[in-house]
Amino acid sequence: MLKKLLTVRNLVILLLAVGLFVVSDLLGLKVPSPVISLAAEPIFHLGPLTISNSLFTAWIVMILLILLAYFATRRIPKNLAQASNRELVPSGVQNVMEMVVETLYNFIKGIAGHWTPKFFPVVATIFFFVLASNWFGLLPGVGSIGILEHPHKAGEVGFIARGAILTGIRADAEHKTDGEKQPVKDEKAAGDQKKESAGYIVVPLFRAPSTDLNFTLALAVMAVGLTQYFGALALRGSYFKKFFDLSGFKRGAFDGVVGLFVSVLELVSEFAKILSFSFRLFGNIFAGEVLLGVMAFLIPYFASLPFYGLEVFIGFIQAVVFMMLALVFFVMATLGHGDEEHH
Amino acid sequence: MDAEGLKAIGTALSIGLGAIGPGIGIGILGSKAMEAIGRNPEAAGDVRTNMVLGMVFAEAIAIYALVVALIIKFV
Repeated sequence: MLKKLLTVRNLVILLLAVGLFVVSDLLGLKVPSPVISLAAEPIFHLGPLTISNSLFTAWIVMILLILLAYFATRRIPKNLAQASNRELVPSGVQNVMEMVVETLYNFIKGIAGHWTPKFFPVVATIFFFVLASNWFGLLPGVGSIGILEHPHKAGEVGFIARGAILTGIRADAEHKTDGEKQPVKDEKAAGDQKKESAGYIVVPLFRAPSTDLNFTLALAVMAVGLTQYFGALALRGSYFKKFFDLSGFKRGAFDGVVGLFVSVLELVSEFAKILSFSFRLFGNIFAGEVLLGVMAFLIPYFASLPFYGLEVFIGFIQAVVFMMLALVFFVMATLGHGDEEHH
Repeated sequence: MDAEGLKAIGTALSIGLGAIGPGIGIGILGSKAMEAIGRNPEAAGDVRTNMVLGMVFAEAIAIYALVVALIIKFV
């Protein structure tokens, strides 16, 4: 086992790695401490709209998915009935996507049953979109390539740019005096005056969409809204009875009050679903990014590699969980209230 | 004690206390899943899938605590 690992190539890699440590130490290179921003940063304006970096990245993810869908379905013949066997044999990207979609379809069919044609497009779209936006944040350059700006808050850690080398310094000493003299509104103008001393922070151009609460909240609202739609589609008006249940009064006042209380709980649980949906995805992916950033700060080389693998896994699992939960809620909404069937 | 220090204590308490419940939950899930696999090794695949799903739900609670901690720390 050990002998197998001791090849020339591996030795060269090892030497390069050790060399990197030595060179970075000699040059005095420091990894800047990670600047963590809970909210997405605006990068440019489009008329009255402020475009944040996560929204920008979400558009890129959408375009990539549309391109993938186009190239995966390009060679499928228009008229399937008259196509020869040769034309139907998939290859390349179409082959891969057919495998993925087929696996997904069978998985969803096991849960949704005869509702699959209705649920599959929605749920599969959620899966691919969430998966792509989770994994996009793991690409090198996302979160690290950006625009240099002055720190927005007084006392924030800034860097002083020296050519290509960034050295972490605390810029709060000069900055705090700035903040005391001027009202907060003029912070930026004050920063411009003291260009040399205020330091810079990197405002990333790209940011994984799932690390923005707006993105996950929008998906959650859509999923819960569609739950109501599918419930109404399956059970017509009687679906909404579970939110305003007065049928218990037929069996006495106590049953009626309990039934009313339960229906209020049902209504609250719909909103709780939105909250848990959005926080689960946001928290997992954002915490993952913070974890990777902090690990890279503590031990600059290699130490974040296992965590990187973990984040790839978590990105996939969270996409599956989001899809599964949406699917299970859809199915539960179409099943109707259990009480009517028992009595 | 200044606000900064109280913030740090709040952050540590929120994630520290919030991780207790999910930790116990994931422990129980893992131990029961191992028992199940030991009794019926053929069902290992199914058990593992469901175990991971259950763990994700338990973990979500810890993630809520983490979100609160992050909000206290960075907002």
